[in-house]
Amino acid sequence: MVASLTIGALVSLVCGLDRVAILQIMISRPIVAAPLTALLLGEPLIGLQIGVMVELLWLARLPVGAAIPPDDTQVAISSSVLAIIMAKTLSASGTELFLLCLLIAIPLGKVGQYFDHYARQYNIRLTKKVDSALENGSLLTAELQHLRGLGSFSLAAIGTYAVIMLGGLLTIPLLWPFLQHPLSHSSGWIQLAFPLVGIAVILGTINVSRALTLFCTSFGMAFLLMWLV
Amino acid sequence: MYLVWYGFSADVVGVEMAIPRKTRIYIWFRLLLLQASWNFERLQGIGFFYCLLPGLKKLYSGEKLLTVSRKYAGYFNTHVYLAPMVAGAVLKLEEDRAQGIVDPALEADDFKEMVAAPYAAIGDALFWGGVRPLAAGVALFFAIKGILWAPLIFLLVYNILPMWFRTVFFARGYRQGMRSVEFIQQHRLPDWAIHTKEAAVVVLGGLSAFMVYSHLNQVGLPSWLGMLTLIPMVILVLVARQGLSPLLLILITGGSIFLIGLFGADMICLLESWGLK
Repeated sequence: MVASLTIGALVSLVCGLDRVAILQIMISRPIVAAPLTALLLGEPLIGLQIGVMVELLWLARLPVGAAIPPDDTQVAISSSVLAIIMAKTLSASGTELFLLCLLIAIPLGKVGQYFDHYARQYNIRLTKKVDSALENGSLLTAELQHLRGLGSFSLAAIGTYAVIMLGGLLTIPLLWPFLQHPLSHSSGWIQLAFPLVGIAVILGTINVSRALTLFCTSFGMAFLLMWLV
Repeated sequence: MYLVWYGFSADVVGVEMAIPRKTRIYIWFRLLLLQASWNFERLQGIGFFYCLLPGLKKLYSGEKLLTVSRKYAGYFNTHVYLAPMVAGAVLKLEEDRAQGIVDPALEADDFKEMVAAPYAAIGDALFWGGVRPLAAGVALFFAIKGILWAPLIFLLVYNILPMWFRTVFFARGYRQGMRSVEFIQQHRLPDWAIHTKEAAVVVLGGLSAFMVYSHLNQVGLPSWLGMLTLIPMVILVLVARQGLSPLLLILITGGSIFLIGLFGADMICLLESWGLK
């Protein structure tokens, strides 16, 4: 379990930094981060399923200006780690378990927004230090202050991961006996609903005239084609 | 001039470049760290100074370097993939100024402030609003089929355009300076953003149909029922337009499905106990 938690923390750190601080090559997207985590833990398909469900959920929340979207990266990574650990601990498998992990992780993912907010707030201190370094003529000190910002974002990523993991590890073993059977009646439909809700939110917020018309036409045509072929 | 305009190396046509190619590559790599110290006061400001510094060191020294550095450590915010173009143009303007070619109409830091917001709007619409949902939609087709390469497909589809922007636009910015704005205008990037968003909507429509069709086949229900999905989808879209949070929407939808599932299972048990099933 410790090894799984550590691997998850490392992925959480790297992907968390990609989210804002470095690169932005989108390894932080759930469709990449969850399968990557699960692959490292030996269960790539679980990660892929979680990635599919989380990817579109908050895609419509754009990181524009000072806006901070919910931390779907840490939700995807933590859910993957939780699902894999819990499958071993509870000797369980199937969609119901990773669905429960996801349902616990998603509300806790809101914490990521607060941690990210604190990181950006903390980094304001660095601006003062840069100003003072430039006043003193030390360019190297000023440059290093910029890199210190990586520390804040790393702590925010790890903090979010830790909160979700802690919440999941404490609650899932308690809830699982009660929810295992009830979830089995609806898990497939909930699994389908996640990406569809995400798509609906994207359509609701995307700035395209006739978005609904385009969507319905595309849906209808694709559906008819699959039905006929 | 013609060659410079169309992107050939300015060295070839004899325009002197004070910032060596090695330094420019170094600056390009630093631009990948632009947002490392993102904060609510100056946003990308310190990062922009950090990225430009190797170039500024080639142009200035001593107190002049410190004065120019202070100027760039102030507020700055633009889209992260278009920042290289601003950085390239600013370096070109600083290079001209260091060589005594001064445009009295606009200083380099005025130019930076002038283009940052429009570039941010273009980048947000194109990349966050268009390319990202499009790439996600394409990759999800593969992921739903259980193809493990789906994440790599996403990375490939998504990163082609940003990487092109980061490299080519940085080079353009440095070669053309203030005229790089015309390059953006020529390419009609806001139109690209609209077309990409439309393509994303079409892909997401196909993806939804594929997911619903696969699920109905899996649970053994008639396929035509899938067309009814459009009704809850339209309702969800209209609700989302009212500003309801995705978290609340998923909890309401998931909770409703969970309760309907429980109710359905109880009904089946009841019918079985009555010998009706």
